[in-house]
Amino acid sequence: MIRLENLSKRYGRVAAVDDVSLEVQPGEVFGFLGPNGAGKTTTIRVMMGILKPTSGRVILGGHDVEREPEKAKAITGFVPDRPSIYEKLTGGEFLQFVGSLHRMDSQRLQQRRAELLEHFELSDWKDELVEGYSHGMKQRLVLCASLLHEPKILIVDEPMVGIDPRGARMLKDLFLALAKKGTTIFLSTHSIGVAEEVCQRVGIIHHGKLIASGTLDDLYRLAQVEAGKLESAFLELTRDGASAAG
Amino acid sequence: MRMAQIFLLLSPIFRAWKNDLRAGGRTRWLRRLILLSLGIGLWFGAYWTIKRVLVYFQAVHGLGPELAYQLLLIILLTFFSMLLFSNLITALSTFFLARDLDLILAAPTPPSAFFYSRLVITMGNSSWMVFLFSLPVFAAYASVFHGGALFYLWVLLVLPLFLVIPAAVGALIVHLMVYLLPARKIRDLLFFIGLFAFVLLYFLFRFARPERLVEPEAFGHFLEFLSAMETPSSFLLPSSWATEIFASALFQKPVELWFFYALLLSYALFLPLVTSWVSAAVYLSAWSKTQESRQGRRPWGFLDALLRFVTRPFPEAAKAIMIKDVKSFLRDPSQWSQLFLLAALVVVYLYNFKVLPLERSPIPAASLRIVVSFANLALAGFVLSAVAIRFAFPAVSLEGKAFWILQTAPISLRSLLWGKFWLYLVPLLFFGEILIFLSNLLLRVPSWMMALSLVTVFLMTFGITAIGVGVGAVYPKFDYDHVAEIPTSFGGAVCMILSIAFIGLTVMAEAWPIYLMAMEGLGRGSGARGVWVAAPSLAAVIVFTILAVVLPIRAGLRRLDAMRG
Repeated sequence: MIRLENLSKRYGRVAAVDDVSLEVQPGEVFGFLGPNGAGKTTTIRVMMGILKPTSGRVILGGHDVEREPEKAKAITGFVPDRPSIYEKLTGGEFLQFVGSLHRMDSQRLQQRRAELLEHFELSDWKDELVEGYSHGMKQRLVLCASLLHEPKILIVDEPMVGIDPRGARMLKDLFLALAKKGTTIFLSTHSIGVAEEVCQRVGIIHHGKLIASGTLDDLYRLAQVEAGKLESAFLELTRDGASAAG
Repeated sequence: MRMAQIFLLLSPIFRAWKNDLRAGGRTRWLRRLILLSLGIGLWFGAYWTIKRVLVYFQAVHGLGPELAYQLLLIILLTFFSMLLFSNLITALSTFFLARDLDLILAAPTPPSAFFYSRLVITMGNSSWMVFLFSLPVFAAYASVFHGGALFYLWVLLVLPLFLVIPAAVGALIVHLMVYLLPARKIRDLLFFIGLFAFVLLYFLFRFARPERLVEPEAFGHFLEFLSAMETPSSFLLPSSWATEIFASALFQKPVELWFFYALLLSYALFLPLVTSWVSAAVYLSAWSKTQESRQGRRPWGFLDALLRFVTRPFPEAAKAIMIKDVKSFLRDPSQWSQLFLLAALVVVYLYNFKVLPLERSPIPAASLRIVVSFANLALAGFVLSAVAIRFAFPAVSLEGKAFWILQTAPISLRSLLWGKFWLYLVPLLFFGEILIFLSNLLLRVPSWMMALSLVTVFLMTFGITAIGVGVGAVYPKFDYDHVAEIPTSFGGAVCMILSIAFIGLTVMAEAWPIYLMAMEGLGRGSGARGVWVAAPSLAAVIVFTILAVVLPIRAGLRRLDAMRG
């Protein structure tokens, strides 16, 4: 469902993403782990067509993001790390706007909007301007917007930033439920706990390179740590000078 | 100690400047060079124009210094009103809305150091342009009236005081407004500021009575005219005090120079002090109020229905973007409050046509009307470009940090830019046509000239809007503190230059046929047969318009795509 083929993104001489290849199957939750500045957000921005790749390509649901951007984006939902949204719209209006961008039919849009606002406990706030929302509420509203058109792929960048424990639990349950229904989830995070709890496979990016990829057991073996100690595996694999393999 | 703290609070600004200057790059330096050349060009243009006017005044025997004095009074009055308005807006931002306030207020900062550092920032941000452009005015006066070193010394002594007073008044008014008004919404406050500025502009305009400069005969008796000239607009305004001081140095006017300087100095010292006391007393409560005011429930049923109806012909995505833009505009006081300025501009613009002394000109009134109406085409074009730079140019930048939503949505950049183009075209068309229709009505031009003007402005508006939206996409400024920063950026200057070039081409293309038709109209009493003379010119204008629409939008699309790296 998601395929990255030799993806590179360079800024001058700096390679933010360096020859990354990976594949995520339908209904799979893939965790994309890496230290700060490793290239996670750049990879995601290239995947969403916000940035152009220097080389390589991104295929979402069979559509090349560079060649068929509209088709690729139509089946994808995106949640960025910072929920910057239109402050002068109400929550309800923002969802209406996003639904219209996805050319959703009016009846379906109203129904989905009500369902999602209810699910994310924002119904009482739907007529308030977004400028009055807290960070967590904005994050939940962006999640609503990303799920509005029932995407086949959900790409999420650092979902747990600024979310309280209750919200975090809600999110993890949501990801698992969506995956069960067949949605493919690409989850960039540096929260080891989230990766352990919800991801079937994990990729670790460091200095722009995908240094490891596989199931949690694969990573424990590769890092030569005890099972269940993803944090140790992560620290071992991202230690500068450590040898890694995919 | 306090001075050291004030400098410390100001230091991030200086450090940011230093770092900005260091971060070179060829394009950046090229940009700076272009901006600098533009500034110097404008500076010398202003100097040359004022000098010419003053030399012309001197030619009016015996009246030269009086007219020059009156002009100086008007100029300083204009500067003062601009400073006051600009300080009001900036003070609101620096004292109550700036992003670094949380950090500064959480630090152990003495209130007085905080107040004075913010006052300096307010004064600097609001006054630098007026300060720079006051220099050619003073230089021109010094050159024509042989002011010499003494005059420059007075400029040096008076100018800082002249800048401090409106900054302190602006800060004082903003503090009181935020404290006293039920500030559930900052927009209410800005509404009042906009209204206040509008009324102020109107009164200052009437105070100055600029028509006195061109209509000495309206005063009847010569002596009466002279005595009217010698009456300053209002002794309550610091601009009048400054004018008196300069007049004494320039024209050896017998005034109580030291009295006026003492007045200026005492106010420049007293007002910041009073404002600092007021700030110490009310700031924290006022600041808390602005923090509480960040939400509100708004049912907009009627507007929703209206917008859905108006945008019906457009595709779903374009419609959604238009509705979102209109709502954001109407809910953002920093955007819609600019409409007040627009209204003031239109009133003054039309008023000028009303008071034009056409009958007193040696040229026959009928042909003069056509000449003025022709000039009006260019003027209306300039006004339209100014409005387009305020509203259409920021269209893309206003997406701000939320631009990712459109970038990741299944829509093309093309439909985004065209959506913005149509959105701004309709009100600009309406505005341009009304402006040209009313001014031509006041000029009582023949119907062929009215029709030609309406058609030309119709076409021009397409070009001006596309230049605004397109160049705005070429130079987007997504990271802004205040909307007003967007049109005053480098891209805004480029947009203005391109708009003026387009208007110039359009007007030049029509100059010859209008001349021929005016002549024919004068000879035979009707220009109807000659309308066909205008056909090739109109065709040329259509070609210019198509180019002005297509090229900027295409450039904007290329730039937005290139932004992806």
